[in-house]
Amino acid sequence: MNLQFTLSKLPTMLTASLMTIELTVLSLIFGTILAVIIAFMRISKNKLIKNIARFYLWIFRGTPLILQLFFLYYALPTWGITLSPFAAAVIGLSLNSAAYTAEIVRGGIISIHEGQYEAANVLGMTYRQTMFEIILPQTIRNILPAMGNQFIGMLKDTSLVSTIAMVELMRQAQLVGSATFKYTEVYITAALIYLLLTSVFSYVFSKMESKLSIY
Amino acid sequence: MPLMEIKELKKNFNSQTVLKNISLGVEKGDVVAIIGPSGAGKSTFLRCLINLERRDGGSVNVEGIELNPDDKKSVKKVQQKMGMVFQSFNLFPHMTVLKNVMIAPIKVKKIDKSIISEKAKNLLAKVGLSDRGDYYPSQLSGGQQQRVAIARALAMNPDIMLFDEPTSALDPELVGEVLKVMKKLADEGMTMIVVTHEMGFAREVANKVIFMEKGNVVEEGTPEKIFNNPSEKRTKEFLEKIIK
Repeated sequence: MNLQFTLSKLPTMLTASLMTIELTVLSLIFGTILAVIIAFMRISKNKLIKNIARFYLWIFRGTPLILQLFFLYYALPTWGITLSPFAAAVIGLSLNSAAYTAEIVRGGIISIHEGQYEAANVLGMTYRQTMFEIILPQTIRNILPAMGNQFIGMLKDTSLVSTIAMVELMRQAQLVGSATFKYTEVYITAALIYLLLTSVFSYVFSKMESKLSIY
Repeated sequence: MPLMEIKELKKNFNSQTVLKNISLGVEKGDVVAIIGPSGAGKSTFLRCLINLERRDGGSVNVEGIELNPDDKKSVKKVQQKMGMVFQSFNLFPHMTVLKNVMIAPIKVKKIDKSIISEKAKNLLAKVGLSDRGDYYPSQLSGGQQQRVAIARALAMNPDIMLFDEPTSALDPELVGEVLKVMKKLADEGMTMIVVTHEMGFAREVANKVIFMEKGNVVEEGTPEKIFNNPSEKRTKEFLEKIIK
């Protein structure tokens, strides 16, 4: 292990990990918004809406993420839709994580006791008020541990976009490694950066959990 | 015309009939106690009045408004006339006690926060919990939680209060504090329909007692009549079993 070499490559690796963070955060935001929408579609009483959500889950949970990324980046251009690697990466990661997160959110919503809906109902609240004031705030607390897992998984999944010409942490490690043949150094460095990032994530989530466990 | 008029109310669960033609008139200031063995349909009857269960027949009229389950507006109107207290409290666990009481007036009636917070504090004082406003429901005893639930229902200014076995989930030593609040409400002239197993309450506070069994009203009358001189054999048997 060549420490001097490792240090000399650290700035490049850290810069690349900024892209990893950017991809993670953007996909988290879009993925979570989409997930909540799909979760509500999935519990809808309207059969068509429910089945659209089911179909979505079937596709995105039933095929590999790397295939979904390849499809967005390599196959869509044949239909005249050309995406930049960055756009393809964010879209792919968001669509994929939304499918998993939607099921977590749905589980959280249906775990809320029926009595909460009844109490809100007899107090005159609308469906929207019941959801936003009563059900979702309780759901968030219940699903936080599972969401933490999902988000950490998502952070690591960003490494897959190295296959569609995105230079993030994993891709940068490969590039430096193949140019210098110092694979040990670069992959250990990349692993440590990933660990640092996932640790920060876990920490933030455990803080949020303890903050929400006041009741 | 009575404040509330229920005519030939019917309810089925799947193919089973749980309520058979129940009729009841409630006058302003009435305290109606519904008693009877479990499975009699008491709670289902109460829940049909506020449309938590959809009735299968008959009519419910509250202050001149027909409750039509297919017409959301009429459902909301009728629900606004009534407050409901549940066996399992159903407080909102993520809100403080004060917020629990304030949330519906703020969101549903769009009442200004400063006005309703004053009223909410008065209601909490009324149920004996003025020092618990900043607590979360999980930090309170069952009896305290149920008293908050009563305050929460009262915050919407209902004309009629429905109680669905309000003390059945409580430890025996906590039953009294809830009944005391309910008695105070009754004394102030609140119209109440109470499904209960507390015979002492039914006897002392109610002015009308209804004995239900197997989806039927077996007997109804004043507490004196039902408890001292029931005309039906089944009423007698039931009361003998639970009052030793």
